[in-house]
Amino acid sequence: MEMEIELLEIRDFIAQNHPFDLLSKELLNNLTQNLEIRYIRRGECFPPKGATAPFMYIIRTGAIELRDSENKLVNKIAEGDIYTSSCQLLKFNESSCHMALEDCLIYQFPCSYLKTLFEQSAEFKHQFEDDLRQRLQRAAKYSNAEVDVGVASMTVEVGELIKKIPVTLEVSASIQQAAQIMSEFNVSSIMLTENEKLSGILTDRDLRRRCVAKALDVSLPVSQIMSSNIISMRSDDLVLHALMMMTKTNINHLPIIDDGKIIGMLTATDLTRHNSSNPVFITSQIRKSHSVDELIKYTEKLPELQLLLANSNISARHVGETISCITDVLTIRLIELAQEEIGTEPVPFVWVAGGSQARHEQSSHSDQDNALILSDDVTQEQMPYFHELAKRVCDGLDACGFMYCPGDAMATNKKWCQPYEVWAEYFTGWINKPEPMALMLSSIFFDLRAVHGDFSLHKKLHKKILGMTANNSLFIAHMVSNALKHRPPVGFFRTFVLIHDGKHDNTFDIKHSGIVPITDVARVLALAEGINKVNTTERLIALSNTKSLSSDMVDNLKDALEFIANLRIRHQAKQIRENKPADNFMPPDSLSSLERKHLKDSFAIIKDIQDTLERRYKMP
Amino acid sequence: MWNYFLNREQLRKRALKNATSEIMRDFLAAQVPPDTARWDDVEIVALDFETTGLKPQIDQILSYGKVHIKDGVIKLSSARHELIRPDKPIPEASAIIHHITDDQAINGRPIAQVLPELLEYLSGKVMLVHYNKIEQGFLNAACEKHYGSPFMIPTIDTLVLARRILTHRNHTLPTNRLRLFNLQADFKLPRYKAHNALNDAISTAELFLALEALITPKDSTLLKDLIL
Repeated sequence: MEMEIELLEIRDFIAQNHPFDLLSKELLNNLTQNLEIRYIRRGECFPPKGATAPFMYIIRTGAIELRDSENKLVNKIAEGDIYTSSCQLLKFNESSCHMALEDCLIYQFPCSYLKTLFEQSAEFKHQFEDDLRQRLQRAAKYSNAEVDVGVASMTVEVGELIKKIPVTLEVSASIQQAAQIMSEFNVSSIMLTENEKLSGILTDRDLRRRCVAKALDVSLPVSQIMSSNIISMRSDDLVLHALMMMTKTNINHLPIIDDGKIIGMLTATDLTRHNSSNPVFITSQIRKSHSVDELIKYTEKLPELQLLLANSNISARHVGETISCITDVLTIRLIELAQEEIGTEPVPFVWVAGGSQARHEQSSHSDQDNALILSDDVTQEQMPYFHELAKRVCDGLDACGFMYCPGDAMATNKKWCQPYEVWAEYFTGWINKPEPMALMLSSIFFDLRAVHGDFSLHKKLHKKILGMTANNSLFIAHMVSNALKHRPPVGFFRTFVLIHDGKHDNTFDIKHSGIVPITDVARVLALAEGINKVNTTERLIALSNTKSLSSDMVDNLKDALEFIANLRIRHQAKQIRENKPADNFMPPDSLSSLERKHLKDSFAIIKDIQDTLERRYKMP
Repeated sequence: MWNYFLNREQLRKRALKNATSEIMRDFLAAQVPPDTARWDDVEIVALDFETTGLKPQIDQILSYGKVHIKDGVIKLSSARHELIRPDKPIPEASAIIHHITDDQAINGRPIAQVLPELLEYLSGKVMLVHYNKIEQGFLNAACEKHYGSPFMIPTIDTLVLARRILTHRNHTLPTNRLRLFNLQADFKLPRYKAHNALNDAISTAELFLALEALITPKDSTLLKDLIL
């Protein structure tokens, strides 16, 4: 039977919610025609008592609180959320009477009907039957293939490069008026319009060649000297094509027009600037730079690079690696520049990076964390040399956008500019007497990587640390309890993040509630197993099939990290595109229903490993 | 005039006795759910008409939409919508509201063909409408015209129900507040495109469930607490 067209609205509501978006139109129509609508008053039980057969429910309006059999809040569901427990798809030890928090209008259909849908859509079935892991793997389908970033930077759409609003003028204006507007907006070209449609463009070159050189009267209409034979592109054309077009036609200005609407002007300068935010280019320019000012000029491109990389569908892991590598090159260049002025080191040293740079997980707005490990031969008199070196490098990093560490975990801090023996003592103390301070520093100093100098100094220290931490259950227990401070949320509820005890947060801190918990777990277990890797993914891979982590858990955590980190990269790319500073705070309503679902799956994986660690390393 | 002193059941019996058409006799003879039945034990048909105007004697039905409530749940599988071909052009003033044009209406069946089906849907059930005067009035006029009998059915009117339930809580209630559209908003119910007979029938059914949920004590609302 044909579906009544009036039911379209209900069908479209259903289709908005994942995984119903996977169903074909025919299946959705059929589902809609078989829906039943039920009303549950605030305070009443859900699922409704006396339901004849088990049902699957979709909340249309209202909200319901889900509790487990011990009456602990597990989740809240609201508009668009799906409740499948009655169909026993999820094993969850739940209360028999969840409470409606608000009056609810609910769509329902019998579980038996769900089976019919399964038979007709394998994709839909997967979404219900796959375990968390398979779902996340599907989600993290980012091309992890090697992407040539030089090429990737060319596969960005033209629209991404248009930042300025278009400067336009009516075609009836005078040459002088056009020149005045161009000066006022500091642009090299202007678009001339008739009835808001582009009819010509005027460039600096046109003014020079067709007006000034010929001593033309500037009160004449601008149409006399404009170019009306216009080549334009759409905002979704590729930068690569724009570049080819400019080269082929020898023009420097390309109006960008979407269906007659003027979007902006792409100039050859935009393209050069764009091209220069290619990591290979940036790296080679950093190597060639001779002053901090020059370095600033090239590192300014880092946010743009991050945007480019994110747009090129490169995985978050590779983005982190690229940015960290550039920071390494920058650090090395700053050390070299300093040494050109203050001379070579009196005794061997190694510059080590800590935190995200060490883990190869940096983003363009990360703080700097670093330290100096000096040879034990260093004398008191030689210390000022290293203090000066540290000052110059840290100042340089700050000037290039890697801000001073708020916790002062930098080589400029005399405490963190010490000979090997002192560092060895530090770590011995932290490991044998894990005090709060040591634990606080753990995320920085238990992730150290040599960047420049005598790498053997770091290698020796790292080996010593792992020798002390491996199988040291008291220390690991302290690290675990510290790591458990960052708990993932339970899920999302409308525009809120739902935290453990049933409280709400307005924003989702993707770093501290998503990434940090995984990083922490990988660190603790790497230390416990004596694994010398620093990158989180590498740590996880190395932990596979140790007694700390099963290969299944490793795969789950890798997928969860990949998904969350990619989401974060895209969030930050969006902010950079909007000329806002990149941060880690995502408003929950900016997340799609699918992203929420995958995040929830990721949270469940994190919670699982945290619970396991909590049990395994119960504090004495 | 004497009708005022007869109860609904007596009126129905009298109409049945006088009925000449077979369709009408079947309809009036059908067992009507007793007043003392629990509301969720009876089948309720939410019905809405779009018409050329407000006067049943002059104006005509242009479309109907209906959906059933059974076991306390709206069954979308029972949703129907149909255009009805009027025998006069559609006045512009009404077309502005329901967006049904003559060109569309020509595709509909005439009321004489649709009416028996409508009566069959409603037979032995309870009718649910928002503002009884329209649906009851037009059905009655149609039945009188085509079969020479009055149309009778136990009816729930959400407008009346809303006034009774909400007035009780909020003192006075301006009529405007009782329009389907405004009540939907008050109960935070979904908004469908208004002035489409099926959308309005579904909205009326949803509003009814929301209103019923307000009636105390819970779980024991009887038909007599709801019908006109």
